[in-house]
Amino acid sequence: MIRELKIRFAGLVLLAALLPTSAWAESTRVSIMLSDTGAAYTAFDSALRKSLAGIAQFTTHDVAADTSWTSDAADLIIAVGMKATEAALGRTDVPVLAVMVPKAGYEALLGRGSSQQRLKPTSAIYINQPWLRQIDFIRVVLPRRSKIGVLYSPVVVQRELDDMRAAATARGMKLHTHQVSSPESLFATLDTLLNDDEVLLAIPDSAIYNPGNMRNILLSSYRARIPLVGISQAYVTAGALGAVYSSPEQLAHQSAGMVRSFAKSGDLPGVRYPEDFSVAVNLQVARSLGIGLASQEEIRTRMIEYGEGMR
Amino acid sequence: MKRDLFRVSVFRLSGAAMAFGFLSGYVQAEPMQSEDAFLQSFPVVLSASRLSQPQADAPNAVTVIDRDMIVASGFRNIADLFRLVPGMYVSYYKGAQPIVSYHGSTDQYARRMQVMIDGRSVYLPPLSMVEWSNFPITLNDIERIEVIRGPAAASHGANSLQGVISIITRDAGGLDGQTVSFTRGDKGVNDVSAHFGRRGEVLDYRMTLAYTADNGYDDLKTVPNNLLAAIPMAANVLNNSNDSNQARMVNFRANYHPDDVDSVDMQFGLSHDKQGVGFSDSRANPMHDLVADSSFLQLQWLRQLGDASELKFSYSHSGQSQDEDFMLVTAPFAGHRVIQSVDVQRDEIEMQHMLPVGDAHRLVYGAGWRRDRTTAQGYTTAMLLFALPVNYGSSLSQDEYRLFAHDEWRISPAFLLNTGGMLERDRMGRSSVSPRVSLNVYLNPQHSVRMGMSVAHRTPSLVEERFQSVPQPGHLFIPDPAVTSPGLVPERVVSREVGYLAEFLDWDASLDIRVFSDQIGNGIYVSAGRFMNGISSRYYGTEATLKSLLGKDGELTINFSHQRASSNVVALAGLAGDVLVGSIPRISASVLYSQRLENDLVFSAAYYHQDAMQPYDRGPTDFQPAQDRADVRLAKTFKLETGINGEVSWVIQNLFNNSYTEYIVNNLSNRRSHVNLTLNW
Repeated sequence: MIRELKIRFAGLVLLAALLPTSAWAESTRVSIMLSDTGAAYTAFDSALRKSLAGIAQFTTHDVAADTSWTSDAADLIIAVGMKATEAALGRTDVPVLAVMVPKAGYEALLGRGSSQQRLKPTSAIYINQPWLRQIDFIRVVLPRRSKIGVLYSPVVVQRELDDMRAAATARGMKLHTHQVSSPESLFATLDTLLNDDEVLLAIPDSAIYNPGNMRNILLSSYRARIPLVGISQAYVTAGALGAVYSSPEQLAHQSAGMVRSFAKSGDLPGVRYPEDFSVAVNLQVARSLGIGLASQEEIRTRMIEYGEGMR
Repeated sequence: MKRDLFRVSVFRLSGAAMAFGFLSGYVQAEPMQSEDAFLQSFPVVLSASRLSQPQADAPNAVTVIDRDMIVASGFRNIADLFRLVPGMYVSYYKGAQPIVSYHGSTDQYARRMQVMIDGRSVYLPPLSMVEWSNFPITLNDIERIEVIRGPAAASHGANSLQGVISIITRDAGGLDGQTVSFTRGDKGVNDVSAHFGRRGEVLDYRMTLAYTADNGYDDLKTVPNNLLAAIPMAANVLNNSNDSNQARMVNFRANYHPDDVDSVDMQFGLSHDKQGVGFSDSRANPMHDLVADSSFLQLQWLRQLGDASELKFSYSHSGQSQDEDFMLVTAPFAGHRVIQSVDVQRDEIEMQHMLPVGDAHRLVYGAGWRRDRTTAQGYTTAMLLFALPVNYGSSLSQDEYRLFAHDEWRISPAFLLNTGGMLERDRMGRSSVSPRVSLNVYLNPQHSVRMGMSVAHRTPSLVEERFQSVPQPGHLFIPDPAVTSPGLVPERVVSREVGYLAEFLDWDASLDIRVFSDQIGNGIYVSAGRFMNGISSRYYGTEATLKSLLGKDGELTINFSHQRASSNVVALAGLAGDVLVGSIPRISASVLYSQRLENDLVFSAAYYHQDAMQPYDRGPTDFQPAQDRADVRLAKTFKLETGINGEVSWVIQNLFNNSYTEYIVNNLSNRRSHVNLTLNW
């Protein structure tokens, strides 16, 4: 199988060298596997199809609806979300680009995969923002606050916490992690954090940040006048001060670049964080907390400038 | 429900499942390993009605007293907190009967200011007063207090002629756990309270049980230094303090929020209070106990109609009753018994809709209805001495209606225009319109200027409307059903102000300065035993607040007020001298400083100054000399291994024993202290 694959890629590369660009790429057959048919997944699907229109051929599958599916007829699988990624890695030998996957989940999946799985070209674009970018957001939006508090449940691995702390230290800030050891102790732990720290940074941990807890987390932090920085637009709508996130469109755009690269080289670039990102802020909350905010675009520009300045 | 408390993702991965023992049994996956955390949606929690308006956007000057300030002040009584508001006068008629007033009105009926708890008016026009000692809430239940300095009738209705005090209690979810608190101190200070609460996915609740007691002011044993010995001796005011207070209360608040759209808030509270009233030199009002009961039930339904549009319905019922039963002891009434009671029952309904209109407007409009039923009765054989019936009483039911609208228009980043108005039909059947307009100009994000003008009205109180000119013993006021005061019209104030707000980021400091002029027309006064309109007065001056964060661990607040008054009372027959001019302290100031120290210690200190003044409705005996008072508080927090957190604190009030009297000459305050132990788990 692997031999056949290599021959096919060799042929592809040869073809690419000989033919005009549009002609070679059209032969790239991309199979998009969606973990779910939710809005984010379908938005990604249509954005990717749009940006590679005329360059690649697409088929889309819903993993949840089509459990027995295998993909022999594709050159590349784009697995959207963890369920699709797990299915794609387990069932076929076709190269896989996982997108909209959390870093921790993707790494865990690879860690327990068979060696055969690891041999085929595999890469990912995480859904997480790099910690430095999150810290830079706080730097730009709350320049006078340097104590960042993070709540985490025991599912969060120590290395992630170390990475967060290292990112904060690199920007001259302090990040304190507070473990919520049981559901009952969530609010006591939050009260400690609100007493000690100046901004609450959410991490992707739905044991803590879920619709049931969100109300009281936001109300408590607002009472303490400590802003919450979230990880998606939904946090901001609920009442977080702001969030840095990458939209499905932005992720699709980056994926399209990786598909092009794959079409050229027959190999996938390494795993990476989202390149392009959006900034969302809640002006009403900011105003009420007495925090003056620049426009979202300006915050974004300043983050990029600040990040580059720190390199 | 506990299963759902920590929502788990459906995505199944087993790698590190044993790492979190507390979730074992019902956890199926590590939430961090699914993208769900990034894609889940949440209800709008911090909606417009939950967000407090920043001072720079407000149409009025606003002073906020938050929890940190409440704790740092070391005060035990809610009324004392208003010493931290520039220009506000705080005193006590008796030890358990605070007076809180603003810009004049320094008398026991602070009738020109609206007072609300969670949006529910606790100013009782029938009694013309706010029963500060009998609120069914403790200081611990208060989240923050917002004081609007200046008329706000356009948003808060009649009686907010000079300002509005808005007490906001902790949310139902404001406490998760248990707290007990014990306070003991000089002058019989003995407070105990227990609070407990839970936060849940769809239901939050909290409850308070409390007992507070003290013996009021110190005993006046020597002649105050501003008086000649003969004056207080003649007035027989020495050792004249029966002003203790014992209050028991319970309150409960629950919030049910089943989905993203609706939330229902329910509160109730009861308070039972025994207050010492009366004076040893009074023939009709000797020392005796007054029993006050208050209760309330409040329901509020909040419905989210979109990202920023909200509908709010509220209903509340409040009841307030006061009873006294005592013997008259001085000739010619000696041996006659007095039994009196006053009861006020209030029902109130309000509907409010808040919605954005375009990008630049935020509109609030609504309507309200209120009914006050006052029942009062008395019995005393002493009435026979005046050839009057031994039984007397009255029963009144009065309705008020209101329509209001307010628009906040962000014209450009540099201009914010607030316009609003209220149309009211008051209890006496008169209609009035109270408009307000204010423009906030942002010179830059840190500096803004506010210019405002408004008109407000005050309906005559029941005392003014139905004043019983016949003798009536005791402390309570029993309205006379036969008196109607035809021709008495509402007082009217035209207020103008210019405010300047500045933030100094480099020093973590903010400054709030206001220059004001309030012109009161149709002012009500007493002449020949009757209440009449006729006083024209003007209150004007400057107020300033400077706040500075001294790092994360310190905070400093300085308040200053300089106020003047002028009026036509000299020209009005029967009034000698401009009592209004002398009835306000020309300069008052306060400083509150707090600092977190090493070893879990917290220190705070406060200083209060008030110039000398003559309380508006008291005679020269009760001249109030200048006050200077310093309070300090030292607290240490600790953690026990059993998971209990605690704090021990020691408060010394009037540290330098700079004894002063206020409002009534025998209200003497010396140095006193109290200690508190609070445990929570």
